Amino acid sequence: MNATRRARHFPSPSAGRFGRRQKRERGARIPVTVVTGFLGAGKTTLVKHFLETPEGAGTAVLVNEFGEAGIDDALLRNSTEKTVLLGNGCLCCNFRSDLQVALHRLVADRERGAIPHFGRVVIETSGLADPSPILTTFATDRALGGEFFVEAVITVIAAQDGGKTIKKFAEARRQVMLADRIVISKTDIADEDAAETLTPRLRDLNPRARVIAADYGRLDPAWIADASSVRDGAAFLAEAAEVEHTDEVRSFTLTEDAPIAWEPFARAMETLIALRGADLLRVKGLLDIAGCKGPVVVQFVQHIAHPPVELAAWPEGERKSRLVFITRGVGEREVRDLLAAVRALAARV
Amino acid sequence: MARKSVKQAAKKRAKTAARKPARKPQRLAKAKPAAKRAKKAATKSAAPLRSGPSNVTWNFKLLAHDTLAGFGGMGEGMAVQVAKDGRRILWLAHESAPKNFTAVDVSNPRKPKVIVQTDLPQSFMRSNSLELTGDIMAVAYQTQKTGQQPAGFELFDVSVPERPRSISFTDCSGPHSRGVHQLWFCDGQYVHMASGAPDFKPTHELDDQFYRIFDVRNPSRPTEVGRWWLPGTREGDNEPPPERHQKPALDKGFRAHNTNVYPERPDRCYLGYIDGGMFVMDISDKANPKPICRWDNSPPYTGFTHTVLPLFERNLLVVTDESTNNNAGDWPKLVWLLDIRDEQHPVPISTCPLPPVDAFSSRGGRFGAHNIHENTPSPHCWHSDQIVVGTFFNGGLRAYDISNAYQPKEVAAFVPPAPALSPVGAIQLNDVFIDEREIVYTVDRFTGGLYILEMDF
Repeated sequence: MNATRRARHFPSPSAGRFGRRQKRERGARIPVTVVTGFLGAGKTTLVKHFLETPEGAGTAVLVNEFGEAGIDDALLRNSTEKTVLLGNGCLCCNFRSDLQVALHRLVADRERGAIPHFGRVVIETSGLADPSPILTTFATDRALGGEFFVEAVITVIAAQDGGKTIKKFAEARRQVMLADRIVISKTDIADEDAAETLTPRLRDLNPRARVIAADYGRLDPAWIADASSVRDGAAFLAEAAEVEHTDEVRSFTLTEDAPIAWEPFARAMETLIALRGADLLRVKGLLDIAGCKGPVVVQFVQHIAHPPVELAAWPEGERKSRLVFITRGVGEREVRDLLAAVRALAARV
Repeated sequence: MARKSVKQAAKKRAKTAARKPARKPQRLAKAKPAAKRAKKAATKSAAPLRSGPSNVTWNFKLLAHDTLAGFGGMGEGMAVQVAKDGRRILWLAHESAPKNFTAVDVSNPRKPKVIVQTDLPQSFMRSNSLELTGDIMAVAYQTQKTGQQPAGFELFDVSVPERPRSISFTDCSGPHSRGVHQLWFCDGQYVHMASGAPDFKPTHELDDQFYRIFDVRNPSRPTEVGRWWLPGTREGDNEPPPERHQKPALDKGFRAHNTNVYPERPDRCYLGYIDGGMFVMDISDKANPKPICRWDNSPPYTGFTHTVLPLFERNLLVVTDESTNNNAGDWPKLVWLLDIRDEQHPVPISTCPLPPVDAFSSRGGRFGAHNIHENTPSPHCWHSDQIVVGTFFNGGLRAYDISNAYQPKEVAAFVPPAPALSPVGAIQLNDVFIDEREIVYTVDRFTGGLYILEMDF
């Protein structure tokens, strides 16, 4: 949309509707991995182990609470959550201000040569953090979206008491629901079948995320350093049927074989955001937009739409649109009807 | 004009002049002993802004590094040939003697292999520039002082890359000429170049190289067909000589540098004219080149306009300065974007953001813009009008997304560590070329040789 406006001056014939086609979803932005998980789940151990691997070199780490374990040979900044009352009256738990300041300072220091160059950021959230505000913070250019791109939300959950935690705490359930990847930790000190028992419960909450068990935080570093959600396409798109979870959170996937016209889709999403933005916890998809060569990646987090990105080529698999919704109380049928209604109205123009 | 190879010309002169021994690359090490450099580096690292390591690889992926058999001081001529046997050969110009040019087999970019390296006949010569069309390569020869010989350009048949064969040498020497600094040879028909001439006496000794066009359709008999110089720079001109840039360190000459001509507009030459700014030239009549417009940023900037790259379908020009003073003494040296919708009135609209000068000025050597990938009209060259890739000496290699021409954005950087034996103690990336496979080749000015990278953005 912005890209379309900018392209009016000095348009490039090799650019797509949404600007320069990107080799990957993050383009040239700094990849960010958000590591979340309930208190004592083993987030710090996981991050510490990652930093010790070759893939962890050049990683800046932000924690929004000081963990009990020290992180050696890494950049360490402190950032604390803040609750910000936005002007529109919507109360968003936002750790935007500190996170933004910390990340902007990191980039500035890197440019000045005051700190070593880094090519990745890992954010370790506090145990009680809801990942949604973090994702929101990265959604717009004005905040951090111009420089950073959230490649993955990784949720760590302890094998032994993870089941109890997600049953008892809404924050823990939210962390699982919004995850791209889930790490079952501390299997070494858990009952033998703890991970097997926990996995179906996690899949029930989040069928899209990949789940893996890790002892002592030892996780294949590719899970963090190569966590492109596009590459996770198969898992991301696994869910076809609508699933309703606890807390009224539900998830579903819309698919479409024919190319989609961009304008009606954009108008429908604007309407959805205007009416139920607060309840759109995460919406993400690869769209086959009419007139575009590559897939167009769209992402919405609550009221905010990421700028769409056209990739240079479709990933392996068939060319069709898929859009995953994780919502609070917004159902598949309502969204499907809205999209169809706007499309029908647009067709009459 | 002589029609023999530069080697033959040199042999003749060698009869009357004692031949100097070929310079060895080791002399660079002698210029500043390693211990001295280490001490200097240690002092520098005490500065607060230099606490981080200087090397950066961001959205580029280094595939290979080759110091080119110890002769890694490279100029600003790079061209790719696909030989008849299918090998991909990268031809590289050297910054200075003793080497003339080097060919590297880059068929496998992860395993480059030097296949030929030639020598200059005189230590006061340099062959800073080369271009290639098909199997014919043009090489520029410049001398340190006016009046020295040989100076001019030579055409080579490189159909067998291991055995470059001289086709002709064209003499451009003269009492007031240093020969050819840069040339452009992309259509197989004309060589456009920045050159002095035997009959050209400049009003100032630094203004000796002007725009010349040679017809090389018969490569064994190149013939000059046109020339243009900034009025006032030749003795006898009606116009007064141009006002020199005030600081002596910034007075680099009103003379030609890059002379780019593209098939999209064969009637235009995009001419960088160092302290004279840039010109778009009408060369529809090659015998009578005429300036269409001039844009000059200096003063208040610090001169040395180097390259003018047209992005035809976007109505943009990318114009670079060259940094020529060490320790950012001529900062800022920039890459500019100009709106050329009205060809007679170019308007600067943005610059590609440089990294902070404080972080680079004391690293050693030069810091600032120089060469960019020029979308050379060759089937073996990558073409983009959305990405600008340039070399910035100790600022390394940098790529900019100019999709939004008003706000270029850096999307990738590569600043390798100081190459071994570097006399300035820092990388000095000098030129860049990207082939149609999107493989990036960049070279160091002193000792680092060739770096081969992939774009990862």
